[in-house]
Formats: sequence, C-alpha cells, structure tokens
Amino acid sequence: MAKFLRVDMSAKQAKFEEVSDKYLTLGGRALTSQLVADEVPAVCDPLGPFNKLVIAPGLLSGTNAPSSGRLSVGGKSPLTGGIKEANAGGITSQKLANLDIKAVIIEGKPADKGFFLLKITPDGVEMLSADDLAGKGTYEVTAICRERYGDKVAVITIGPAGEMLMPSAGVSNNDSDGNSSRYAGRGGLGAVMGSKGLKAIVVDCPKTFDAPVKDPERFKAAAKKFAKILLDHPVCGQGLPSYGTNVLMNIINEAGTLPTRNFKFGRFDKAGEVSGEKLAEVATARGGKATHACHPGCVMRCSNVYPMPDGKVCAPIEYETAWCFGPNLEISDLDVVAKLNYICNDVGLDTIEAGCTLGVLMEAGVIPFGDGQAAIAALEEVAKGTPLGRIIGSGATNAGKVYGVTRVPAVKGQGIPAYDPRSCKGNGVTYATTPMGADHTAGYAVTANILKVGGFVDPTNKDGQVELSRNLQVATAAIDATGLCLFVAFAVLDNPEGLPTIVEMLNAQYGTELTVDDVAALGQNILKVERRFNLDAGFTKADDRLPEFFSTEELPPHNTKFDISDNDLDEVFNF
Amino acid sequence: MRIEVRVFSGLEKFLPNKSFGEPLPVELPEGGTIRDLLLKIGIPKDHVFTILVDGKHRSFDYTVRDGERISLFPPVGGG
Repeated sequence: MAKFLRVDMSAKQAKFEEVSDKYLTLGGRALTSQLVADEVPAVCDPLGPFNKLVIAPGLLSGTNAPSSGRLSVGGKSPLTGGIKEANAGGITSQKLANLDIKAVIIEGKPADKGFFLLKITPDGVEMLSADDLAGKGTYEVTAICRERYGDKVAVITIGPAGEMLMPSAGVSNNDSDGNSSRYAGRGGLGAVMGSKGLKAIVVDCPKTFDAPVKDPERFKAAAKKFAKILLDHPVCGQGLPSYGTNVLMNIINEAGTLPTRNFKFGRFDKAGEVSGEKLAEVATARGGKATHACHPGCVMRCSNVYPMPDGKVCAPIEYETAWCFGPNLEISDLDVVAKLNYICNDVGLDTIEAGCTLGVLMEAGVIPFGDGQAAIAALEEVAKGTPLGRIIGSGATNAGKVYGVTRVPAVKGQGIPAYDPRSCKGNGVTYATTPMGADHTAGYAVTANILKVGGFVDPTNKDGQVELSRNLQVATAAIDATGLCLFVAFAVLDNPEGLPTIVEMLNAQYGTELTVDDVAALGQNILKVERRFNLDAGFTKADDRLPEFFSTEELPPHNTKFDISDNDLDEVFNF
Repeated sequence: MRIEVRVFSGLEKFLPNKSFGEPLPVELPEGGTIRDLLLKIGIPKDHVFTILVDGKHRSFDYTVRDGERISLFPPVGGG
C-alpha cells in the first residue's frame, strides 16, 4: 500500500500514513507541488517551522521504465520566495518507490540546535543524531553513510551551505558510485532541509525495479517500446550517450546565444576548451568516462566521470555548470571548471546560482573576469561562512544588491542559465514566466529554437515563442510528475508514439484509464497549482519579467534584444 | 569565394587532421550551396543535422556567400 512518510522535526518523530485518494495518482512534481500548496502557508518564512520539504519519486520511478529514476524535491524556496520543485537524478527515487513511499514530508523545526539523520529501511524508520556529520561536505557524509549502512544505500544530504541556511544551497543525493553530485540544486531547498535540522536521509532498499505494477505484462511491453523510442531518436540514442549534455557548448556558441562575460556577449572564442568534445577527450585520456548513467536503467547515459588533477573525480560536469563557470566567467580551463563544480557539490551549493553569482562579483570588480584561481578562492569562502562566502551562497540577486550591480541575470531571484534570452527567445519566455524562477528546464525552448527538435522556431525572432514556451511548460510539468528524465522529451516531441506509450505505462502500472489529453491536463493543473501558490505568496505580473538590461542592451553577434511584450508574456498561462 | 567551416560533435572524423571547432578555409565557386560544400569536403549529408551560417539556421540548399562562418553538427541535445 502506497504511503507517505511524515517526519516531524519538532518532535523528532516519523510515522507512515495512508495516502488519500486525492494524491494516489500524483507523483514527482505533481505531488510535491500539490502537497506544498495544500500544507504550506504561501506567506510563511521559507526557513521557519511552517515550511515543509517534500521529497517524492516520480509515478514511474522504481519500475523498469527506461530513464525513470528522477526525484522531485519541493517546498517554498528561500531564494525565490515562491513554490519550488527541484529535480534530481541519482539512485534515491527508485529506492523510495520500491519501499512504496510516495513522498517523505519533513515538517516542523527543532527548538534546539543540532543535526539529525533519518534512516529509512524496509524494516522501518529511525531518527539518529548526526552531530558527528555536521560541518562536513557532502562527499564525506555520503562516504561515511555508505560505510556505516552499506555501499548500496542512497544518501540525501546537505553540505555546510545548507547547514548555514544559504539561500542557494541544494539537496544532493548520490549515483551508484557514491558521488554526491546528483542535485536537486535550484532554489535553496538545501537551506530548508538545514532549517529542519536534518543533515541526511539514508534510504536502504535492496530492490531497484520492483515497485508495484498492476499489470506487469502490459507494463513490460510498453516499457520495452518506450526504450526503443528513446534509442531510435538521434539525440537520446546517439547524441547524449556520446558527449553528454556538454555537447551543447559548441552549438549554443555557434548559434551566438552562449552567455559570455555575465551575459555581455553571445559567443566565447574559447568555448571549445570547455565543451563536451574536449571533456570527452580529457576524461578518456585520464581514465575517466565520457558517458555514465546517473541511475540504473537509464538508456541515455548522459553523465560523465572527469578525473581532476588533484586525484579527485568530478562526476558529472553538466553543460549548464561548464557554462556558468566557463564562458560566463570567461574561464577556458576545464580543470578550473571541474574544481568549481566539485566545490559546489561538496559545500552543497547549486552550481548555476554559484556561477551566476560569481559573474555578478566579476561584474562588480570584486574578482577579475577570467581569473580561475580567484574564482576558486572566492568559492572556498562559502564553507568557511565568511561574509564573502555568505554573499556567494545568497545567490546572484542578493550579491547584486550588496555590490550595487544592476546587470544581474535573474528572475524571481533565481539566476538565469546557459542560453541568452535575447537570441534564444523561447527560453526567455520560460525564464520570465515559469513559477520556478529562471529555469531552463521548465520549458526548454532550446529544442525548437536551436536543436531543431519538435519543429523549428527562429530563436532571434519573437514570433511563436509564447506558444512554444507554454506548450513546453505544460509538457514538462507532466513529465516531471512521471519521474522520467526530461531528456525523453527529445524523442517524445519528434515521435507521435512517445506520449501514448508513456500513458500506456502509467495505465498499466496504476490500472487507470488515462488518455493523452489527461496528461496535458495534468501538466496544466500542476502549473495552475504552482501559480496560485506564488500569487498567494505575493507574486504579481511584475515578477514575470526579465531584468531590464535584456531589453536595452544588444547581444552580439545577432545584436538582438528581448522584445517580447509584457502583454504577450501575460498570455503564457491563458489556459 | 572563400568560406570558413567548423565541424563538431564527431563530424571531425570525416576531416583528416582536423579537430572539432578548428576553422577549415574552403574555396567554393560562386552560387555554391551547403550541399556542394559537403560534397567538396567529404562529409556525408545524412550525418549533418544542423547547419549554422553566421549563427543562423540554414538548409542544405542555402547559397553560401563569401566570408561566411559555417558550422556543422550531427543531432545533439542536452540541457
């Protein structure tokens, strides 16, 4: 019987409870956002006792549906002040699903100081003191937990940034090799976990693919068909497995929409030095891996293992991270990028936010553009909790206020990722309007704008971008509910059999009679729930806008500005 | 006319001694198209998915102009 695990951190008690009908057919983002909307007062302090951290596997997680091991982490964001769902790979989602846990709901706030560890096994739940783990980085915490509880356990944890309640702290979990690098990174949910006094959650479950399925034969056939749909698609079957997500570096650069020098230029002449092709070369030469799965059963294997000169391993380096520490800072040394990435993973910070924030510090002249060693030294301040470290951990918008910088790439307080909205305008619409704050994944218009997946919409022209972003935001919300990796969208957008096959898997698993239209309705409903929360939290139309400089400064080489009108932006959620 | 070609993400295997992103100057007759260019440099058309000319998406039938920067990609994606 599917259950919720409710963890009261005020009383240090955890109990299982039955899942009411309302939530039975929800999972992943649909479930975290609905629970947050139902149980968290929109006006509450994100770090206070009334916020909750909700962790949920997707609807298909823990089955043999390919690439279905995504984990949703939700709550009210201390970075944006709005609702947040941060989505991670790693091995936790499958384990929770195999324990038949639909969600872990962490609530309350301890009156006293100190940190705790929640241990979830097939036999039950235990709350243990984690004072011996406090102050430690995520790599060490994960290693200690694997040593204590077995090397197959999943470890959700926060680093010192989360303990210090920094607004851009993330929540990590590990891959099969024990790397604490799979992050529900965005929006500061690591600080929410820290505010609850929870340092780590260890999930021990011997099963990976045996979550309950009503009609196993029907499910198996649909899952097999879906795997073929993914493998037959050139991006999912060939592109992603060859070079990983950082294959994007060169094409985004050539398309002239690679944000460079804190969004000053659209091309970086040394982009190739930090690209996926270069990464594959170096990683392979050093005995690493150009391709790697973040969770068992992924057929796209877009991750990588990058051995660093100091003997440690950064696995993976994703495109957005390579961008934010590379071109965004005019840094062209992949080893520096890897080091910055590793520091973020260890101290527990969202890489994109950290990169945007370092860009703002460079804009302010605190450290010079292109100076990798200065960037490393600055980022190392975070773990020490120095004033500079806390400013970096507070995110780009806050750092801009502290240093008087107006060219701050952020929406709703969250840093803008690796595609400039002036020459990839569909993503600009998504950044402006998604309830999440600037988030490229929320409506990834790069597909039709740049990659020619799911049609083509000229990225430098404003026509068609609102509709493109709207459709993608709806589809993405639904996919985020399933636990499928968003990258299945490349295949689903191009293959008319894709969406019906997802629906077939859901129906076979849950005994439902969903149609393709129901999936669209699910996506729309998720967005409505999230928008309602933000409205109640005090958001207005003014929050659905890009920073001013995107409409006043031209971006070379196409010399474009963001010119989609306010009225058009307000039409995104006209359903 | 002379153009500058860059290939990426595995297409470099068709160009001996060129690595990804390394500019390749190519002479092409006036009126030449992307299709003509691919024939000349020996990259099979069915391996090319995205053609960017000075950063703009173009088709195989696009008529190339002097001095343009042409970037060729197989299917790629990420995010």
